[in-house]
Amino acid sequence: MVKNKNKYKYSKDEIAVDIRSVSKKYRIHHEKIPSLKQTILKFRRTTYEEFMALSDVSFSVKHGETIGIIGPNGSGKSTLLKLIARIIQPTSGEVMINGSLSALLELGAGFHPDLTGRENIYINASILGMKKRDIDKKLGDIIRFSELERFIDTPVKNYSSGMYMRLGFSVAINVNPDILLVDEVLAVGDQAFQAKCYKVIYDFMKRGKTIIIVSHDLDTISDLCSSAIFLRDGKMIDMGKPLNIVAKYRAYIEELDKKRIIDQQSAERKKIFRTVIENNRKIINGVEITKLTNLIVSGETIKRFGSGDAEIQNIKLLDRKDKEVDFCRYGDNVKIVYEVLFKKRIEEPVFGIRIRDFKGNIVYGTNTRLNNIKTGNFKKDDLIKVIFSQKIPLIGGEYLVSPAVAYKDNITYCDWVNDMFTINIISRNIAEGIADLNPEISIKRVGT
Amino acid sequence: MIKNFKTLFSYRELLFSLTKKELKVKYRGSILGFFWSLLNPILTMLVYSFVFSIVMRGGIEQFAIFLICALLPFNFLSNSVNYGASSIISNSNLVNKIYFPREIIPLSIVFANLVNFFFELAALFIVLGIMGYKFYIYLYLLPVLIIIQFFLVVGMTLLVSALNVFFRDLQHLITIIMMVWFFGTPIIYPLSMVPERFQIFIKINPMTIYAAYYRNIFYYVKYQEGAGFPSTVETLTALGITLLIFFIGYFVFKRLDPRFAEEI
Repeated sequence: MVKNKNKYKYSKDEIAVDIRSVSKKYRIHHEKIPSLKQTILKFRRTTYEEFMALSDVSFSVKHGETIGIIGPNGSGKSTLLKLIARIIQPTSGEVMINGSLSALLELGAGFHPDLTGRENIYINASILGMKKRDIDKKLGDIIRFSELERFIDTPVKNYSSGMYMRLGFSVAINVNPDILLVDEVLAVGDQAFQAKCYKVIYDFMKRGKTIIIVSHDLDTISDLCSSAIFLRDGKMIDMGKPLNIVAKYRAYIEELDKKRIIDQQSAERKKIFRTVIENNRKIINGVEITKLTNLIVSGETIKRFGSGDAEIQNIKLLDRKDKEVDFCRYGDNVKIVYEVLFKKRIEEPVFGIRIRDFKGNIVYGTNTRLNNIKTGNFKKDDLIKVIFSQKIPLIGGEYLVSPAVAYKDNITYCDWVNDMFTINIISRNIAEGIADLNPEISIKRVGT
Repeated sequence: MIKNFKTLFSYRELLFSLTKKELKVKYRGSILGFFWSLLNPILTMLVYSFVFSIVMRGGIEQFAIFLICALLPFNFLSNSVNYGASSIISNSNLVNKIYFPREIIPLSIVFANLVNFFFELAALFIVLGIMGYKFYIYLYLLPVLIIIQFFLVVGMTLLVSALNVFFRDLQHLITIIMMVWFFGTPIIYPLSMVPERFQIFIKINPMTIYAAYYRNIFYYVKYQEGAGFPSTVETLTALGITLLIFFIGYFVFKRLDPRFAEEI
């Protein structure tokens, strides 16, 4: 009945949280805490830098809305929540709160390790603003929700971190505020408990409560929220429908990732070429294929082997328009191209590639022989290009390409360069394994 | 300020439960538990009594009682200040994560020590009763006295707990300051032993006046010849200084508390 009373406490048009051009400046002290002596001697001349954690952020949240805040690390999300929770004061601007507010910034904040679960419930709940009478009433609910009935009279220092969090969450959600702030705390406990937590949040929403939630889990944001805010470097980039905002954020992250991959890529490639040049001098003569596989599997010791009668040079990845690229996306048509310079006359050589993932699993390998391609004969100083055109339907990540040139017997090698080239594949799908089967998933009801 | 007190009042249950926690935590895991709070002053009393009535022979009758009447109130002050100094920092997980009036933290320390003080007083009553002291004659003064001293304790505790967030070495300094304060207050010696020209310095200390009151209530009831309450001027001065310390403590705390979360 109490729930029903709370349900209509505020009308939907009333503003619950109003943020008016709020900025927060932090001082980063170079020495952590100035001592009394220093302050007296230097008289406020301790060195510090100023850092704008938030600059000129404005938005308002109406009662009954669920707002998601997303942004990369250090974008000011937590600062914003702390400002709304009144834990810190804005440097300029105003934060207006209309209604009772509870912040789940950290679960079990203030739990005392020596006190039992039950004692800590009382303390924690009263810190969160509950009256003793209400706690008495809710105690059973809290304990039941935490699933800690057996341990409730044990000091919390003996709890596992999961139990600790569960108790913290159970207390926090039973406080029953008008406005709830949630900071990344939904990742509590096992799957079953998480499902329970989501259910509680849904219940909160249904009862017309206002929720402001910070999360890196974009699906949570698009599922739960009625609108979302994208923060970056302390500035509010955008606010709007969660799907749009999440898409915007994803695009930003992807852009960032691409940059990172390209940087990494160029460093990686430099390294590989250096090894190739080094190993060029100690080419081993024809080794049997069974031994070879072992050598490859047993580690990175052998980077390159073969007789040296032909030499692989210059491997690269080309896109559809034959432009050299560093990465490709799922489903792109790309070419893996390498050049071979012949040092001797060789008849019907076999050209192949092998692709491995970063763990060393062979993802794919093929050669001209397996594809029944006649390669022809080559003489000294012939320079040719071997082109493999295909789509690469793999899960996103790094893959290593090893090109090879074998003699006609396909057992002895002219040149094999292990992991000569790294391909970065960017895939939208997050899945297990290596292959990206990219299924269309549908559900049909076949009975009741 | 009145608005602040109203908010504070609405958080009284939190204050109550944090005080309870403070007391629980203090004695959790120790076998004698709460008796330590009685044992501590008794042991101190025994040591001082041995030194002053057997070794040094100050010639004070019933030195143990003489001492304990002033020692207990002083312990209330010094324990509150000593524990209060680090209270904000040691509760950083609360200050950083949850909003509530920050005064609650040092206040819970003061209240926990007040409860201790009450228990010690109760024990003292029993001892005095057994020894035939007519301690109840001036007992009506005691509640007023405790309330006045309470303001002094709160002011000091608020002050040091707030300053200590910004100047961490204060914590170490406090121990020394409290020791000086202890010897600067007529607790182990009577005020009459202090040379005339120093009396003014000793009397400026409000604890001197309060100690005199406590002693009059309990000890001098039997030894009437020593009795004599502090003069009105002395009392009012002590009261004024107490209120000054209280307001300084309160305003310094209020001034600094918005920055606590950033600083720790």
